[in-house]
Amino acid sequence: MTQGAKTLLKMSGITKRFPGVIALSGVSLSLAPGEVLALMGENGAGKSTLMKVLGGAQSPDEGSIEVDGRAATLSSVRVAKSLGIALIHQELMLAPNLDIAANIFLGSEPGRGPLLRPLPAREMKQKAAALLSRVGLTASPSTQVSLLTAGQMQMVEIAKALALNARIIIMDEPTSSLTAGESEHLFQIIGQLKADGIGIIYISHRMEEVMVLADRITVLRDGKYVGDLTRAEATHDKVVAMMVGRELSHHYFPEKVERPPAEARLVVDHLLVQGAPLGVSFHALRGEILGFAGLLGAARTELMEALFGVTPALSGSMTLDGKPYMPARARDAIQAGVYLAPEDRKRHGLVLPMSVAQNTSLPNVSSYSRFGYLNREQERRVAGAEVERLHTKTPSIEQRVVNLSGGNQQKVVLGKWLAMTPRVLILDEPTRGIDVGAKAEIYRHMAGLAEQGITILMVSSDMEEIMGMSDRVVVMHERRIRGVLVRSELSQERIAKLMTGTREEGGQAA
Amino acid sequence: MRRELGMTVALLFMCLGLWLSNPDFLGQSNALNTVRQISMLGIYAVGIAFVIIGGGIDLSIGSVIGLTGVLIAKFSSPGAGGLGYSLWVGIPLGLGAALTVGILQGLLITRLKLQPFIVTLGGMLFIRGVSQTIVQGGTLSLAGSKLLNLANGGFWLHNGDPLIPYPFLIFVAVLAVATYVLHFTVFGRYVYALGGNRDAAAYSGVNVRGVETATYLISAGLAGVAGVCYAAYIGQMSQQVGVAYEMYAIAAAVLGGCSLRGGEGTVLGVLIGSAMMRVIDNGINMFQLNYQDADGIHRIWRLDPNWTFIIIGGVILVAVILDQVVHIVQDKRRIRRAADAALAASDAQQHSKAA
Repeated sequence: MTQGAKTLLKMSGITKRFPGVIALSGVSLSLAPGEVLALMGENGAGKSTLMKVLGGAQSPDEGSIEVDGRAATLSSVRVAKSLGIALIHQELMLAPNLDIAANIFLGSEPGRGPLLRPLPAREMKQKAAALLSRVGLTASPSTQVSLLTAGQMQMVEIAKALALNARIIIMDEPTSSLTAGESEHLFQIIGQLKADGIGIIYISHRMEEVMVLADRITVLRDGKYVGDLTRAEATHDKVVAMMVGRELSHHYFPEKVERPPAEARLVVDHLLVQGAPLGVSFHALRGEILGFAGLLGAARTELMEALFGVTPALSGSMTLDGKPYMPARARDAIQAGVYLAPEDRKRHGLVLPMSVAQNTSLPNVSSYSRFGYLNREQERRVAGAEVERLHTKTPSIEQRVVNLSGGNQQKVVLGKWLAMTPRVLILDEPTRGIDVGAKAEIYRHMAGLAEQGITILMVSSDMEEIMGMSDRVVVMHERRIRGVLVRSELSQERIAKLMTGTREEGGQAA
Repeated sequence: MRRELGMTVALLFMCLGLWLSNPDFLGQSNALNTVRQISMLGIYAVGIAFVIIGGGIDLSIGSVIGLTGVLIAKFSSPGAGGLGYSLWVGIPLGLGAALTVGILQGLLITRLKLQPFIVTLGGMLFIRGVSQTIVQGGTLSLAGSKLLNLANGGFWLHNGDPLIPYPFLIFVAVLAVATYVLHFTVFGRYVYALGGNRDAAAYSGVNVRGVETATYLISAGLAGVAGVCYAAYIGQMSQQVGVAYEMYAIAAAVLGGCSLRGGEGTVLGVLIGSAMMRVIDNGINMFQLNYQDADGIHRIWRLDPNWTFIIIGGVILVAVILDQVVHIVQDKRRIRRAADAALAASDAQQHSKAA
């Protein structure tokens, strides 16, 4: 902060160690009233830890924090709240069984006294109604939270922060589950909060949002402070270079070779999926890597889940190698050779407490058994072969996957499908949370698999990855396909325009 | 409230049917006894409801009921094996033991982050063993103790029986306090928040460990109060008193609308659930059909008492199945409507763009 305005918050030299890891090392940050500070960094850069420190959920090992120029020790959530610091988590922290008013005042019910004091229900409803109108939410304060949309819940979280008279509001990826319309509303509310002199720390991966909202950007990398940019200085490339610590290079993407046209493998026609894609149509060729670009809320994951049968499509049709294909459950897809490496691999891709070998054999375990007796020898042989093929770094195939790094866990997910005979391999965010070295390896494997004729559908929010890996790119926005770009047409601007819903020439209409 | 209403209607029909089949069902002696039984079950079912709404489970309460009674019998029984102290010694000791169990279990669950199921399962067995050791495998009689008045006495004597038995009064008091605490205080709100989303409560600055510990303390404490009543009611304490009572309490809470996932349930529902459990229990004895067989001889058909558990189990299953079916149908409708609305909105958007 150089402009001499009064400082709302100053964190300096914050260090936080976890067993074996230094999550934060001497990080500093400052915030002025009415300022929106974007906090950026890759996964694992330390953003969340820093915000947990600020929210009182974790105490730093070293460093000092000043709120309003006075030294503060944020020893608990309660203390942080009493100093007017409110943290809005990415996965919203609301009690779904309670109504809006109860959630807004949870933990800070009006009045003082013991826990057994009567709940001032009417006062809470009245105050809640006033707060709701401030954040532009029309629902009644008595509405149960489980009935709200993600966007409405976000507004309840903001109302909750306002109820504390928060002067510092931290928003962690607030738009990640919002539709474009809801995000727009959020930005308006942020504008109002700014005008009221509230300082906002905004964590987001979405460059376009940050460029619109932020007065200043603080970048973290590997738990260290990298630097500050004002909005005027910030460009997309500058910020990305600060985040990854080097100029961007494409060298770790495998060379693309032009291949002769192949026949269509998967043809999707007007597929309608519950809560997701609205009548999408596209096709994927044999041996092709088809990228799916879009913002969150574009419903790419939902589309993939329909292709894999976990949420069956409501209507529309698909063919696989010319034959009708309509999976009603994952089992159908697996039998047809359509496999999914899901976005949330810890929850949907792996059984964490089981070993590498057990995870590898899981989808196909019945073929390793005779009369129900499991042939562990064969299980081990197959798992060993996959570990070797993918260069998975694990002490042994008996190792529990929970102990592996993100990259090696992803290789176990791939291995479990490669041990069978894939025709279509769906990779949802294949390199999220994976370090650069393992990334390059996964890219090499993907290219190799495509060369063998396997069709790969790759959902990615990483523009580099989309540009570097895809033969063609399907761009989605708000649950529809906005365009399909072939390799020669690919440019960052074009994809960005399509995925933000800006209509332009270019791309085949779909 | 929909669920409470449905259960009330079902309960009233059940009572009506039983009364029609056997008018003795509402006769003074049977009705009073059923009220006593409902009251004693209800006291500790309300206790376990605090734990269940907070997202936990307490399997130890049957054993706590037994321990409380056994301690009272040991210290205050004037007969053989008893130490003959005043009830003013025995009852506080019994209740104190119950509260101690509650706080210890609560601390194990919240401080060491042990699973409630395991902690209270261990507690259930451990406490049962303590009771067994105290009674040395035999029984301790409370005959001659003033405590027996607690179960049999009451207000408004009529034909030698009190129309308002003491256990019923205690139950009413428990209901009133529990309703206030759970539905009208900050603490009650925290119990619901704890069961609905523990992280949200913690990140809102709620002392979740304290609140959770308190739910186990309440559960054990009310089991202790019920234990005093049972000791008075049964009059003979053995290691068997209270065995499997926690299952009745859980069933009553669930019938009354508590979800074992936490965050759901009301005191009124627990009252209705407890009444239902006891009316079914009693109804199996009372239900009868009068008919004349082929020879014109008057006969009475009764339910086989061996069917008791089949009927109770069946009622619980039917209740939860019906509830779930209603939920599924509602969800399906909601999803359909949302998909239709989204499709319509998107089509309208397309049209306006085309125009």
